[in-house]
Amino acid sequence: MSHHAVAEKDSGSAWDGGKSPFGVSYGKLFMWFFLVSDALTFSGLLCAYGFMRHKHPEVWPNPGDVFTHFPFYEGHIPLAYVGLMTLILIMSSVTMVLAVEAGHRNDKKKVTYWLFLTIIGGAMFVGSQAWEWYHFIVGTDHGAIRSVFENGQWVDKTIYGANMTVNEYGLPVFANFFFFITGFHGFHVFSGVIINIVIFINVIKGTYEKRGHYEMIEKTGLYWHFVDLVWVFVFTFFYLL
Amino acid sequence: MSEFHDDYPQYELMAHHSEEEGKTKRRTLWNVFWIMLIVTILELVIGTYANSLGLLAPDRTSSFLLKVIFVGLTIGKAFFIVFSFMHLGHEKKVLKYSILAPYIIFILYLIFICIAESIYAGIYKQKMDVLIVKQKIELNEAAASGHHGAEEKHESPTQEIKEVHH
Repeated sequence: MSHHAVAEKDSGSAWDGGKSPFGVSYGKLFMWFFLVSDALTFSGLLCAYGFMRHKHPEVWPNPGDVFTHFPFYEGHIPLAYVGLMTLILIMSSVTMVLAVEAGHRNDKKKVTYWLFLTIIGGAMFVGSQAWEWYHFIVGTDHGAIRSVFENGQWVDKTIYGANMTVNEYGLPVFANFFFFITGFHGFHVFSGVIINIVIFINVIKGTYEKRGHYEMIEKTGLYWHFVDLVWVFVFTFFYLL
Repeated sequence: MSEFHDDYPQYELMAHHSEEEGKTKRRTLWNVFWIMLIVTILELVIGTYANSLGLLAPDRTSSFLLKVIFVGLTIGKAFFIVFSFMHLGHEKKVLKYSILAPYIIFILYLIFICIAESIYAGIYKQKMDVLIVKQKIELNEAAASGHHGAEEKHESPTQEIKEVHH
């Protein structure tokens, strides 16, 4: 009898109230749900990109020919700078997870150190993206001849760089997707840096030390890793395929 | 334990761990980082060389193979980020699946429908391009010979195709 009662209690106890069935706090659970919805948004955008990419395989620009610039270097190295950007973002993801780990040990000094490095990495990434956009918009010195719709007819003109209506490297829709998706991701990184700075100030002020736990680092860490996760996919779909 | 308190049900606020446990955890995290670094460099090297050798041209079999490799490596990296960095691998099973299941179901369908529709759209576009070129040639020939019958005959299909195309 008693054995049966215990078994029954155990099987339903997680959902009987009094404790979290998921075993995580309210904030962390809803950060996860927010990330799922955000992941669906990004997946929708990347699938739309894939649709156009797959529809125009012959005329789609080759990323290896588009993104060849590198700072302080006159020649062309394909994909080098975007590779560096990816490494910076992965690196900042590691420093974030080390900040979370230091938070588990209530080590305020280490949390401050790793969180500071994360903010630097994020800022470097946003700056790199601005640099990349600048070179994509300005384009090459020689340009390319494209037919443009002007005053009711199609005329051939030399185009330099890319914007929302014309694109030196190929179809204008490539530039549209590039601006929208990397811009949306860059805005996520930017807001992530702002959130990290707010948390960083709180860490220095000792808010979480007083609270007794550094769970807030874990929540912002989830968001930060998500930004890295999205970049891994953006990098593959835009620069490698 | 702290002045912070809410009236919500109890949960483990943070898995506190000791200095030694921290050491092993940090070693695991750095190992994950090295794996991701190597995979990223591998992707870049393959991407650069494949591009310079022309292996990514859309009509070659190698391009499909390379795409499969790239997507596979990317999903591998994503797995490491989600399960190790975002700690989802160590959460409760019910949480793990309520995060992953809805996402995976929607995404598989979205990928399927995008590939199916883009194949159709690509074939349709090619067919239309061929038809329009054919129509233009026929119209030019008709105009050159000055035969009115031919012009009238081709008038309606041309308009129809133009309407569909724009």
